[in-house]
Amino acid sequence: MSKIGVFICHCGENISATVDVERVAREIGGMEGVAHAIDYKYMCSDPGQTFIKEAVKKYDLDGVVVGACSPRMHEPTFRRACAEAGLNPYLCEMANLREHCSWVHEKSEETTEKAIDLVKMLVEKVKKNKPLDSIKVPVTKRALVIGGGIAGIQASLDIANTGHKVILIERDPSIGGHMSQLSETFPTLDCSQCILTPRMVEVAQHPNIKLYTYAELESLEGFIGNFKAKIRLKAKSVNYATCTGCGACIQKCPVKKIPSEFNAGLGTRTAIYVPFPQAVPNKPVIDRVNCNYYKRGACKICEKTCQVGSIEWDKEDEIITEEVGAVVLATGFDVKGTDFFPEYGYGQYKDVLTGLQFERLASASGPTFGEIRRPSDGAIPKKIVFIACAGSRDPAKGIPYCSKICCMYTAKHAMLYQHKVHDGESTVFYMDIRAGGKNYEEFVRRAIEEDTVNYVRGRVARVYEKNGKLIVKGVDTLLGGEQVEIEADMVVLATAGVASCGSELLAQKLHVSYDPYHFFAEAHPKLKPVETNTAGIFLAGACQAPKDIPETVGMASGAAVKVAALFSNDELVREPVVAVVNRLAPPLYSTCVGCFMCETACPYNAIEHEEIKGRDGSLIRTIARVNQGLCQGCGTCVAFCRSKSIDIQGYTNEQVYAEVMSLLND
Amino acid sequence: MKKLRDRAAELLSQGVVSLVIGYEEGTKRPRPLFCRNSESAEKLIFDSRCFHNLAVYITKKELVGKERFAVTAPISTLRSIMQLYVENQLSEEKLLVLTVDLSGELREFTTFDEIAAYVAQFELKRGEREQGILSKIEAMDRAERWKFWMEEMSHCFKCYACRSACPLCYCSKCVVEVNRPQWINPWPAPLANMEWHINRAMHMVGRCTACGACGDACPVGIPIDLITRKMMEDMAPEFGYVPGQPAKQGNALSSWKLDDREQFIR
Amino acid sequence: MSSNTDFEPKIIAFVCNWCTYAGADLTGTSRLKYATNVKIVRFPCTGRIDFLLLLKSFAQGADGVIVSGCHPNDCHYTSGNFHARRRWIAFRSVLDLMGVDIRRIQYSWVSAAEGSKWADLVNNTVADIRALGPYAEYQKVADYLEKEGYNEEA
Repeated sequence: MSKIGVFICHCGENISATVDVERVAREIGGMEGVAHAIDYKYMCSDPGQTFIKEAVKKYDLDGVVVGACSPRMHEPTFRRACAEAGLNPYLCEMANLREHCSWVHEKSEETTEKAIDLVKMLVEKVKKNKPLDSIKVPVTKRALVIGGGIAGIQASLDIANTGHKVILIERDPSIGGHMSQLSETFPTLDCSQCILTPRMVEVAQHPNIKLYTYAELESLEGFIGNFKAKIRLKAKSVNYATCTGCGACIQKCPVKKIPSEFNAGLGTRTAIYVPFPQAVPNKPVIDRVNCNYYKRGACKICEKTCQVGSIEWDKEDEIITEEVGAVVLATGFDVKGTDFFPEYGYGQYKDVLTGLQFERLASASGPTFGEIRRPSDGAIPKKIVFIACAGSRDPAKGIPYCSKICCMYTAKHAMLYQHKVHDGESTVFYMDIRAGGKNYEEFVRRAIEEDTVNYVRGRVARVYEKNGKLIVKGVDTLLGGEQVEIEADMVVLATAGVASCGSELLAQKLHVSYDPYHFFAEAHPKLKPVETNTAGIFLAGACQAPKDIPETVGMASGAAVKVAALFSNDELVREPVVAVVNRLAPPLYSTCVGCFMCETACPYNAIEHEEIKGRDGSLIRTIARVNQGLCQGCGTCVAFCRSKSIDIQGYTNEQVYAEVMSLLND
Repeated sequence: MKKLRDRAAELLSQGVVSLVIGYEEGTKRPRPLFCRNSESAEKLIFDSRCFHNLAVYITKKELVGKERFAVTAPISTLRSIMQLYVENQLSEEKLLVLTVDLSGELREFTTFDEIAAYVAQFELKRGEREQGILSKIEAMDRAERWKFWMEEMSHCFKCYACRSACPLCYCSKCVVEVNRPQWINPWPAPLANMEWHINRAMHMVGRCTACGACGDACPVGIPIDLITRKMMEDMAPEFGYVPGQPAKQGNALSSWKLDDREQFIR
Repeated sequence: MSSNTDFEPKIIAFVCNWCTYAGADLTGTSRLKYATNVKIVRFPCTGRIDFLLLLKSFAQGADGVIVSGCHPNDCHYTSGNFHARRRWIAFRSVLDLMGVDIRRIQYSWVSAAEGSKWADLVNNTVADIRALGPYAEYQKVADYLEKEGYNEEA
């Protein structure tokens, strides 16, 4: 027989004004299984909580129901009070007599009767409550950061500075990402590499950070606090332990005309190469696809040139395993190429460029050493047209979203052009100007007012080549739709930002959700922007959605804090409201028949397969088991199970059944 | 049929399988047969009168044992076998499927895809009986339907033959046997019967292949197979599955689409 | 028998903790008023709501049921409400085939910010069920142990 204590709160007058609280306490006090029932003015106050603690001890209560405000308000308060009195906190429930009763009804007989019914419902539930203990999951205090752009760099540094170890992997030969390709950043026109390279060096030298470049994630197993990552270290063909980074091999390499990825296809590089002069690590890799030795067995000039014998022709990819407790995804973004636009030349016009290609032209270390020159004939363009929203905000092209940074970088590009070519004429065709960040609006105004960039509100229908010029046919909607035709020397498209190549596959490897555009999905759009629905995996930067550098850095630090919070204890303590699959003695083992419908339904991949084996090691059957480190307690699996083999602690089948039955039995 | 008997005998004598489940002549009509040696394979028959859904035996571990076995399967059994694969109750190494196609040829399948390719030729259609009763029900209004089913439910006496005959009812402990809490009242009264059949229909969403075994098994002739069949037909366009063609895409109820219908939700 | 003005429907609401329960809390904080006929049972997610509970509610004397949760895409657990929606589509179809009065089950999405929507929902549902009258047809067969069977004229 239960011994439940019931405590009805007046909440000052909030409840007692419309509900006859004394009558509620009296009638519930007469219920079977209720050992003690009182009413009091303020249950959440110190004296109120003392009543509960004393009653627990005096009447040897095995359950407590507090009829007061919403449990979303004070359930933790009363559960703590019970715990302090020695009663398991999960044997305490609250009946919502304020938000759901006294505040929404007039004073009447029905209102008091409803209050009595609500308390009765929770008393019947508590009779079926079982004591529960918090779940503890051990934590490996090492983080894996995937992606070495500014997001990954910032996250790595922040985590490393809290004293925890970080493994940073980057699939390109150097860290730095797209930020290293930029010439100047808005709104300050800071030199991008000047602010980035110190951080890159810090990462390389930080005692807590292990950096693997030219490496990709092969697989990730496990769960929060206990991941096993397999990392493929691609064969660089150069031994970094002995290489001094002198660069002699690069100068002698005969294969010189490979389009440079770092220069967005505008410049060239050699087969043995360092992507850019400030690369970290500043040692080369050999591009086996284009190297003469790997293609036809000839050459080997780099080996002859190398004074320390660092070339390793036969090195293979190596797969290493690292144990980590948390993962930060910082894989960044890409931009659409000019070949995406049939109306702008299908990528065939050499002088139609993407914004990233223009950055490389403007950059002092770029293919033209910072001079804006046409790729076709090297001439300095006198008229440039910038087309904003190229591909973005266009459902017809499959990209309905806004790429966020283009309005700002287009203004920046126009300004840089005007600064370099004083007599140049630049026109920006735009739909809207999105300049919402700090000092962003002022920056765009500067472009228009000080640097005389011509802003035309309208879209460009077509760009085609004629006599060495690019004919741009657009419209000016602010002048009533007047057609505008410009004979430009160069056209720069602010192409749409998209998820970086390989995002979908990576998300599937990690069991992280992604949206239709392959950007990774955050756990909650407002309140959990750096977490994913996969516990222990966090997001930083543009891999979640297009964003600028300040937001990326902020988010990376945010992700780092989440990781640090996870690592702040040796064990992860979780609420025990999790699902459990029943277990029975052999030969039944469980009523679960292994149909795994629950596994399909679980949004957190928390259902595992457990093999039941006989003494001889043979497989008897495979049944479901819940990983209590991953389960978030939604209970969807419980409603699915046909044989009712899985139940959720805190909302068990018996508990909810008792609630429903009590509500209607008058 | 001779080819079937010979092949079954061959499989047993060579030890490829330890058991062949098929049909034999019963006293009134064909009934299931369990051949454990090549001599008993002589009794196998296979014609259009063979209607029992043999897939019901596949999940009975004490019957089929740990070794490989074979089943002679008409179309309805084939569909159920596919559904059992999809639900992790069967593996390709364990089962060898024999059937006789429309031209009398013996066919043998070992993989899910082979069975699926064969079954894809046969569209699941309502027969005369099904169409007759269902069109009557479809013409009724709500109150008339309640009266109709309450009248039918009054005959049910909770023998659970429907549950026993259904190949997809393989739970070792059924929900009716859960008594804490007692979800479905076990006694044979109209509402308790109605609860049982509503539950059965819900547990069959996306799984039923309309083999009719439940309706055949019912000793008092309640058309319960029509409940699950109609539900299967109605849910197919909603949930995007082809009736009678189980696919590995996951159960209809444990998956979802962003644009699932919701006009009924305020 | 037509419904009389003395009839007060008994309605249970099955709601999810993160959206509708919080929305109902907001209704309270905003002091909006609604009918007393509805009592709320709290679940972590609509995905947890077993259809058998709805059947039990009617058998125990409820005249109507409300089932409410987070809007699609807003589920605290990502997809519980999507699973619930599918379950309800199938359940409505089965109930309708069997002749159960599906007008007595009101499904809805109420977010934590929609305090007034909750109040309207409750008031409208109570009015609708009052117009439909008590669910005598179902309750009659439910009281098997006390009364005669199903074919008594109403």
